[in-house]
Amino acid sequence: MIAMVDHWGYILGAWGITAVAIGGYAIAILRRGRRLAREVPPESRRWM
Amino acid sequence: MNQSTGSLGTRILGAVAAVGCVAVVIFAFGVSPADAELGESIRIMYVHVPTVTAAYMLLIANALFSGYYLWKRSDFADVAAHTTAEIGVLMLGLTLVTGSLWGRITWGTFWEWDARLTTTALLFLLYVGYLALRAATDDPRARATRAAVLGIASAFLIPIVHKSVDWWASLHQEKTLFGTADPSIDGSQLFTLMLSMAVFGVLAVWLSMHRFRVGWLSLQVDRMRVEKAIEERRSEGVAA
Repeated sequence: MIAMVDHWGYILGAWGITAVAIGGYAIAILRRGRRLAREVPPESRRWM
Repeated sequence: MNQSTGSLGTRILGAVAAVGCVAVVIFAFGVSPADAELGESIRIMYVHVPTVTAAYMLLIANALFSGYYLWKRSDFADVAAHTTAEIGVLMLGLTLVTGSLWGRITWGTFWEWDARLTTTALLFLLYVGYLALRAATDDPRARATRAAVLGIASAFLIPIVHKSVDWWASLHQEKTLFGTADPSIDGSQLFTLMLSMAVFGVLAVWLSMHRFRVGWLSLQVDRMRVEKAIEERRSEGVAA
């Protein structure tokens, strides 16, 4: 029973670390993009 | 006015990735049964395998963009190579962490100097070195050229990592899906794994599009600053 609880800690840890790392990176990239986009004229943002 | 790195394409991809992530969690914890051999730890495989697959794709793309840069000296290729390396390192780092947690359950240890683990760690360090090289070089042309050479050279380790379980005695389990005629998992486990790989693929593309645009904007800002500095120098010269 204790071993199973331990296993769930590792399993949820793996999922949690993955979610936090990818989510955190995505937020950082989106914020950096917003900050830089204000400094660049619209014609230099070809995806608009 | 759109003042972000978003576009219709990234919004659609982002929505698909978000819905896909919810579906993967439902399948991984609600539908997939525990494995006969791996037990509950198979649920770690639903993030471990997709992160390494995404990392391989991104790092192979890095080598292709690097080659294209050396051929055409294109800023597009340089920014794209930087983008794929950065997200590839993120995915490979997650592969090592999730694999380590899986190893603690299955082998009783977080780390073994096993062929697969060691070559994967080496691959990770090579691309961390790639990012460090980019950060340490100021001249844009020299930075892009050196990074492209390192990116192409580092990619030769990818097939070695992939084949390491066949070439050397390894604690790591053998290939489960790719390169095997008969996949060793099936049913809802296989479906969950394939779904997760597809969702991580979409997520990697979505992240890459935003990161590429950040890199492109950064390039434009640097150029604008250089042009402004040259303009100021010129006006100082005229005034003198």
